[in-house]
Amino acid sequence: MPASPRNRLGDLERAVLEHLWAEGPSRPEGLTVRDVHDVVGVQRDLAYTTLMTVLDRMAKKGLVTRERDGRAWRYTAASTRDELTSETMHHALGELAGTERRSVLLHFLDESTPEELDELKAALAELEARAASGSAGGGSGGRRKAP
Amino acid sequence: MYILPLALLAVALSWPVPRLMAGFTSFRRAARAALVVWQSIAMAALLAALFTAPVAVPFIVRQQSRITEYLGLVALAGAISGLVLARLLVAAHRVGHNLRIHRKRHRELVDVLAAHGDPQLRVIEHPTPTAYCLPGLSRRVVLSQGTIDRLPADELEAVLAHERAHLAARHDLILEFFSVVYEAVPPFARSDAALREVHLLIEVLADRAAVREVGIVPTARAIVGMAGGPSPAGSIAMGGAASVARVRIGLLEPTRIWGLPVSAASALMYVFAAVLVAMPIMLLSMAFAGFLVT
Ligand SMILES: [Zn+2]
Repeated sequence: MPASPRNRLGDLERAVLEHLWAEGPSRPEGLTVRDVHDVVGVQRDLAYTTLMTVLDRMAKKGLVTRERDGRAWRYTAASTRDELTSETMHHALGELAGTERRSVLLHFLDESTPEELDELKAALAELEARAASGSAGGGSGGRRKAP
Repeated sequence: MYILPLALLAVALSWPVPRLMAGFTSFRRAARAALVVWQSIAMAALLAALFTAPVAVPFIVRQQSRITEYLGLVALAGAISGLVLARLLVAAHRVGHNLRIHRKRHRELVDVLAAHGDPQLRVIEHPTPTAYCLPGLSRRVVLSQGTIDRLPADELEAVLAHERAHLAARHDLILEFFSVVYEAVPPFARSDAALREVHLLIEVLADRAAVREVGIVPTARAIVGMAGGPSPAGSIAMGGAASVARVRIGLLEPTRIWGLPVSAASALMYVFAAVLVAMPIMLLSMAFAGFLVT
């Protein structure tokens, strides 16, 4: 599948973050651009400066944190994979919570009472029965009149 | 003297008419036409409010001697137009700005977290079933692992077809327009019913796209399968998601509206929508036509 430049960048950021996650426990002080390049950069045949740019960008996005160590930066992942996953889920839901709630196309997710769920299941059963008895072989786009 | 009719039109279209319209639930069956009618109501209300002041201009010029008599009315018209325009611009900027910041951040998050062979699809490793799309320049459909675990293949296809329909039809722009109007209108005149109705109609259109792609039964099952999902901690409970899902299931196929086939009903609704938008424009041009003739 041909990837757009934007997607390749996303892949690279993900690879860098995964490397930081993997090395995090044994290297709590963080990794330098050189360290990351030696693995991720070499694997992908990328220039040192590319990794430097990517890590810098990721720091600005808040995905990684960095601390000065002499002349170099030491990078660590800003959050664990689980933390980032739950932040993403909350971020999706957060858009629902505020005024932007009306502008997000987030679906299929909510709380309902047992009665409402029963009614819903009954409606589905009715539709399935109608579909089974009606246009069984015909096209899926057939228009039926209301009973 | 067209100031008063325009002001009345603006008030009627922003308050009683949306409430009345939301009550006629049979319109939903012609989902596309109903969405156009809702857009025309909002558009006509905005135009009517914006035109009240320009319409005062020929009035002032013609009846210079009696300006003082109507000064209050003219000032009121000017205030309405100015206020509407200002609020509209502020709301458009605020809503658009917030949306784009939020989507950009969210895209960054899903891109760094989730990979997939399909460059537009992202799967988040989370057990809560959820599916949504991120519209814009680099669009994404986002699924949670919980969705994939919960739904069989054909229902998953229905969910994807539903989300892709939102992206393809740029439903986000329609929602953004209504969000801007909602924010621009003073809080007492905001119509939650209109917003809910528009949201539902957009869902129905995406559902019907899924029906065309994968058939009615998998689509209905997908709607039900996702509606029963647990709500993650910290999320706001909107309540009644199952009842919304039930309404959506009932609207998967177009049915007759007041004895009319959907195509005929839709045609009437499009005419109605055109008349609504034409009304403020007519009033404005009549005001100026009278001014130019005399
Ligand atoms: Zn939807």
